[in-house]
Amino acid sequence: MDFKDYYQTLGVAREASAEDIKKAFRKLARKYHPDVSKEPGAEARMKEINEANAVLSDPEKRALYDQMGSGHQPGQPFQPAQGWDSNFEFSGADAADNSDFFASLFGRAGGARRAGAYRMRGEDHHAKVDIDLQDAYQGASRTISLRRPRVNEHGQVVLDDHTLEVRIPKGVKEGQHIRLSGQGAPGEGGAPAGDLYLEIRFTPDARYRIDGRDVHEAVPVTPWEAALGGPIEAPTPSGPVTLTVPAGSQTGRKLRLKSRGIPGDPPGDLYVVLEVVLPPADNDTARRLYETMARDLHFDPRHTAGA
Amino acid sequence: MTHDDILTGELLDDARLTLDELAQACAAEPGWIIERVEAGYLCCMDAGHPQAWRFASAELVRARQLRSMERDFDANPELAALVVDLIEEVRGLRQQLSRARH
Repeated sequence: MDFKDYYQTLGVAREASAEDIKKAFRKLARKYHPDVSKEPGAEARMKEINEANAVLSDPEKRALYDQMGSGHQPGQPFQPAQGWDSNFEFSGADAADNSDFFASLFGRAGGARRAGAYRMRGEDHHAKVDIDLQDAYQGASRTISLRRPRVNEHGQVVLDDHTLEVRIPKGVKEGQHIRLSGQGAPGEGGAPAGDLYLEIRFTPDARYRIDGRDVHEAVPVTPWEAALGGPIEAPTPSGPVTLTVPAGSQTGRKLRLKSRGIPGDPPGDLYVVLEVVLPPADNDTARRLYETMARDLHFDPRHTAGA
Repeated sequence: MTHDDILTGELLDDARLTLDELAQACAAEPGWIIERVEAGYLCCMDAGHPQAWRFASAELVRARQLRSMERDFDANPELAALVVDLIEEVRGLRQQLSRARH
């Protein structure tokens, strides 16, 4: 495990005042906020900033960090000494997602560490899981790796690797959560562990737009399929289907395939949005056909549109 | 030490979280949630006594965002709610944009 320089992360001096730290944190939190930032790796950077702030904005933790950190350079291997925290009692932090370094210093996701008969349920943890749209149709399983701090028989905090294989049930929607009871932070004094919440996100796929359980899919068609109508085979998230294009269709026409959206009760619908694609006029035959149409069809879309 | 478990979690569908569960999941007191529901910044599915309230799982994302805005920027609850509304609006527009680009 490498030493992390939290002062460097926030861009402040070691003697910075609490007010300076707050200002620096807010400036960076605005810059790297994952919903607005255009910086690459904003989400990872934001985690580091949050972690640095969780330590430096808390006088107890900052004092301990300063005491532990003197003489260490960023990136240097680091191991806290046994019994280093005997005079400290932490409270009030609620930072989840922290690094191994943070966990080894402050343990248990920064939560309270108290002796005696005190009982406190463990904190809930949160993680995001990316799945493909097809996984929502069929169900899937995902392996999730977690590192969990544990106090060993010498009173030292060690990290256990923990792998969970989680079933993603058929019919999940974007933004829905799966709750794994007891898979969050351990409780204190025999109290139950917290829960782990997994937020479902769909991997972006330019072919689909998803709205709850309804799925919109753009399907390219030829000009003659659109004009003359007839059956076409279209790929869909649940496999290829044959659907009938009504004669006289244009780009943007929507065909609703009932109950072919994400499964559920009720299941969503699949909307196929037709997109007319013109063949390129890159050979004599194609050019001749276009010229014939130009001559015989007397078609002026600008005139038709009233322009 | 490695544990290998195959877990089937509980899928939180609409209206599944209780007030206490939502509060615990955002490391907040139930009173903090109640104030924000009463002000209209968070939605619960059923009216009536707070202990009977049920929250959709999407509300958890919103509640955690409100919490982080208030904590990280000392934003007052109204401003935090405005920012979270705007974030949701931007996400919706980005989705439409990526669809339109297709």
